[in-house]
Amino acid sequence: MVPGYLISTVVYGTLFALMAMGLTLTYMTTKVPNFAYGSFVTIGLYTAYHFTKVFKINPYGASIFAFILAGLVSVLMYVGILRPLARRGNSLVALMIATFGVDIGFVGIFGIYTDYMQSRYKLSDASQFFALPGDITLFGVQGVVFIAPIVLALITIGLYLLLKRTRFGIAMRASVENAPLARVLGINVERVYIVSWMLAGGFAGLAGALYTLWLPGGTSTGSDLIVEIFASSVLGGLGSIFGAVAGGLMIGASEDLVTTGLSLGFGYILTGAFAVIVLAVAAVAWRRRGRDAKILGVFFAVVGLYMFVEMATGFKTDLFVGGLVNGFGPDVTPFQKAIPLLVMVLTLVILPHGIVSLKLSSLRRKKE
Amino acid sequence: MGLPVFYLFPGFNLVTFLTGFVNFYALYIAISISLNLEFGYAGVPNFGKVLFIAGGASVTGSITGRLAAYVLNINTHGDFITFNFRIIGQINPLLPSVPWFTLGLLLLGVVIGAAIGALFGFLASYPAIRLREDYLGMLLLGVAQFYQVVLRTYTPLTGGAQNILVPDPYYYFISLGSGYRDLAAAVVMSIFAVLVFVYAERVARSPLGRTLKAVRESEDAARSLGKDDVKIRRNVLIVASAIAGIAGALFTFYVSSVEYDTWTRFAWTFWPFLIVIIGGIGNNYGVALGAFFFAMVYKSLAQIQPYIQPYIFFDANWLQDLLFAALLVVILLLRPEGILKEKSAPTLSKSKLSTIITSGGEPVLEHVGGSQTDSRLARLKRFISRTSSRSHRSSNEDSANV
Repeated sequence: MVPGYLISTVVYGTLFALMAMGLTLTYMTTKVPNFAYGSFVTIGLYTAYHFTKVFKINPYGASIFAFILAGLVSVLMYVGILRPLARRGNSLVALMIATFGVDIGFVGIFGIYTDYMQSRYKLSDASQFFALPGDITLFGVQGVVFIAPIVLALITIGLYLLLKRTRFGIAMRASVENAPLARVLGINVERVYIVSWMLAGGFAGLAGALYTLWLPGGTSTGSDLIVEIFASSVLGGLGSIFGAVAGGLMIGASEDLVTTGLSLGFGYILTGAFAVIVLAVAAVAWRRRGRDAKILGVFFAVVGLYMFVEMATGFKTDLFVGGLVNGFGPDVTPFQKAIPLLVMVLTLVILPHGIVSLKLSSLRRKKE
Repeated sequence: MGLPVFYLFPGFNLVTFLTGFVNFYALYIAISISLNLEFGYAGVPNFGKVLFIAGGASVTGSITGRLAAYVLNINTHGDFITFNFRIIGQINPLLPSVPWFTLGLLLLGVVIGAAIGALFGFLASYPAIRLREDYLGMLLLGVAQFYQVVLRTYTPLTGGAQNILVPDPYYYFISLGSGYRDLAAAVVMSIFAVLVFVYAERVARSPLGRTLKAVRESEDAARSLGKDDVKIRRNVLIVASAIAGIAGALFTFYVSSVEYDTWTRFAWTFWPFLIVIIGGIGNNYGVALGAFFFAMVYKSLAQIQPYIQPYIFFDANWLQDLLFAALLVVILLLRPEGILKEKSAPTLSKSKLSTIITSGGEPVLEHVGGSQTDSRLARLKRFISRTSSRSHRSSNEDSANV
């Protein structure tokens, strides 16, 4: 029997990969980190909620509409707010604040919607609901465990084919690389951007709809997830859609696995593996230029070696390593969000261009 | 017996409204001015503003309550959080009998708030001086969100979802009658706000203020003139965060509790940004004006809310969120520079400039000596008189712009 947290890791990682893909798409086109992106996820969440409660259609059926609705809202935000602001000559920071403002607008809209659901349909759980029913069961686990990765795989392949095999995909890549040049070549850059935003919002909506099958949701779910989404995108390099997929999978998996591991204890083998990872991070950091990366590299090397020595000699006096091996207990759960954050910080310091820039050959010492 | 009651119209007590308004206005003036210092002057967009305010508030609330219980010898049963309501309920009536301790508690809270804010600011300065705006925004937003989660779930600090009460330094004023407590809090808050404003304005008018703007506009140019942009940004972030921490501490004394759900990034990061943008980025008077406008809108909405609530099916607070979002977009579209434009940095005061001009050249230059210096100074003087006479005609603030 597969442990529950491993299954949860699959769903979690898949959904973050979807969301990170969308965020990366919007970032690539407009170069603005979209703080309102979490709200697109919430739109998907509430589309699924509405369909389940009112139309009695399960979240799978709702996911298509979630895709369309969130995509349209996303396009509306780009065309109605961001594009006019950018044309008005506002700075990057002003645009960021504007997306922040759009997010607070969404809070108002979701509030009105949930109040409406409460008064119209007498749904008392509208603002905070449990995971929705309607999922199928496959091999003794929920169907979403299989369907979400399949959906992600299909979308990734589809997007790959779109970008690499079609004229529109080439136009898209050209617009992202160099918009003025693409415009000179007769590419309708605006149309490309609109499609990108449509897809980006759609991915978020889709992820939100699937999310409801697995976890409880509410009006603030999307805003709360924004940390993980950003971390996934940054880990993926913010410039690569497929990097974002990998980043999302890694963030989702690490958050779930590391938190569970920390509370239950990794045992000797996994702690040893963890020490190896720490040493690897140290090596990568050391290879980077700059004083800070070197300091970080030395720090991680010391921590990794210390963990090894501590484990090998079997001293259990040390609270940190002892906790890693035997578990810290449920006290660590509040710090769950610290893991994506930590990954984000480390990425920015060590690998500013994300995992796509990581090449194994760079670890080898070059001959000088 | 309470504060005088003056009904402007039925159900609207002007005095209560004003004390509430001043508290809110002063709080947001301080926060927005500190944001303006880092965002408007030094160009560090702090998208995690709530972190520094909540940090100051929560740690102050956590420590002062425990300290008061220890000093006033109140049995905490070894668990300050669980018995918090009872402990604070015992502390508060004792506070008026020890006025100096109460004042000390208030000041200690301010010091703790400043220290925590400065510490967080120092930590945040590590990424802030290295990352581009967009990466920095994501990071700080994430850290602030994380701190909120910690506040909600980590009970030893401020009780997590249970919330804790904080000793009330204004407790004595409750005995004077209704309204006096808020008045006392408003006075303290206003003093703080005025100090912050004066400080920020002094910084803006000093060479440091011009250096900040130089760093904002072009790091390389500032560096080529021998300015250490890294150090300057770090210090600005520390100072601004310390101010935010104090604001958080004073706020937590004013509401006399720490509640995890107060610390949303909307109320404590977005609103200050909105205020700065309404008022004018890099202009302290503008920000004060923007805060006034914002506080007026906010408090007026709260006043009219009971009247519109019966006619709508949803909570009228949501309309407020929508309104502020729309306000931001409209301002960015129609007047991105805000109510008051950023002024060019003042170098010499007008009186000094006019002294130089009216001196007729000879007395000022005589003691400097040296023909070469003399001619250069004379050129400078001609330049000053030219610019100043031009601006006298347009009677603009730019007169001081040399």
